[in-house]
Amino acid sequence: MQLEVHVASKAFKNAAGERHEVLKDIAFALKPGETGVLIGPSGCGKTTLLRIVAGLDHDYQGHVSRPPQTRIGMVFQEPRLLPWRSVEQNLRIAAPQADEAKLSALFAALELNAHRSHFPGELSLGLARRVAVARALAVEPDLLILDEPLASLDDALATRLRGQIASLVESRPMVTLMVTHDLEDAVCLGDRLFFLSARPARILDVVPICAPRRLRGEAEIALIKAEIARRATGE
Amino acid sequence: MRLLSLALFIVTWWVASLLAGSAKLPPPPAVLAAVITEARSGALFVNLGATLARVALAFALAMTLGVAIGYWMGRVRIANRLGDPWLILLLNLPALVVIVLAYIWAGLTEAAAIAAIAINKLPTAIVTLREGTRALDPALDEMATAFAFTRGRAFRHVVLPQLAPYIAAAARSGLALIWKIVLVAELLGRPNGVGFEIGVAFQLFDIPLLLAYALSFGAVVLVIETVLVQPFEVKLSRWRPRAA
Repeated sequence: MQLEVHVASKAFKNAAGERHEVLKDIAFALKPGETGVLIGPSGCGKTTLLRIVAGLDHDYQGHVSRPPQTRIGMVFQEPRLLPWRSVEQNLRIAAPQADEAKLSALFAALELNAHRSHFPGELSLGLARRVAVARALAVEPDLLILDEPLASLDDALATRLRGQIASLVESRPMVTLMVTHDLEDAVCLGDRLFFLSARPARILDVVPICAPRRLRGEAEIALIKAEIARRATGE
Repeated sequence: MRLLSLALFIVTWWVASLLAGSAKLPPPPAVLAAVITEARSGALFVNLGATLARVALAFALAMTLGVAIGYWMGRVRIANRLGDPWLILLLNLPALVVIVLAYIWAGLTEAAAIAAIAINKLPTAIVTLREGTRALDPALDEMATAFAFTRGRAFRHVVLPQLAPYIAAAARSGLALIWKIVLVAELLGRPNGVGFEIGVAFQLFDIPLLLAYALSFGAVVLVIETVLVQPFEVKLSRWRPRAA
């Protein structure tokens, strides 16, 4: 599947009735197997853009085209698990067609085997995030949407989950769209980085990363980051 | 602890009956004798059974309609606008008015009695469920939309668990209301049931018989609360952290 996004304008009305434009002239397309990353300052409208792509918000000018039967897997900023169902039930409810082998592989990849029968209320934020990632992948998505999946985790946890997400993204030919404000995450996971401005958000720069994800060691990542810094100051 | 509180009740009753005189308040053994006589003749069970059947039917009817209408009014703004004046009217309509009108319009029938009881309970169930529906978490609704949950799956796994405490609350308060109203309905227009027997006892000034029925009825209510309602609530809140 191919994802094409064109948002001409998206505005909110505040309580006083004033109109605030959050997104302006954002257009990009992603091919299967490609990971796009949206980077921008907090509050610039990244999450709003993801909600439009996911079909949760229809009140905007422009269009998002994806095949009608696209399966979407989404990791929200907060895990949004069903607190009254166990970890395993949460996955099974979201992905009724997933078989035991598929679920076992996911639980193993994300080190969740010990927590299958726990309720979400008994999990730490890091664990709940991993369950949310597992749920998004259990539906075998054509479009994977990640909204700051590594936010507010400590460095060690974030690094580990980043690695796990990287290998899971490699394992399926899907379109992945991620939002982050962390350059490190963007460089490690993305194939194309879209730098967004402050409100109303526009795309300032698009940086493709050609090196395959699994070949990106610390040296390559430092190099890419330096290159991005040079482009930013050069403008 | 429950036994202790029961013993305290009986002691208080006995002392009060000594002070007031057994004509006004018969002591426990006299009432127990009345209970046994009624149980021997089978009348106690017939009447309790008739009352319980009415309670069960009216409760089921009012809960089903109340949950459906309350959910609808909580979700759909126009339904709420249309239904709200009716709801306020029903909420404040005295039970006696509903019962008397039901008997006048539908005759002294079983259907009229059950409908009248259900109508008395219906508005509180609607109000509770409407509040519950308004409190549904929009974040989880979005999750269900993003993951393309079918309607049935979303209702069963996302909506219903959030409504469960409200349904339990509506059931609790509704059951208490029905216990009270069913006797009035029986007193006014049924030839059997606990309410009818209490009416008879009242006319004959037979205080032991009156207390025999009142207390047997109270015992049944207590048993249903401990055996059915409370375990059900515990099961529903199993996922919550223990302290709550």
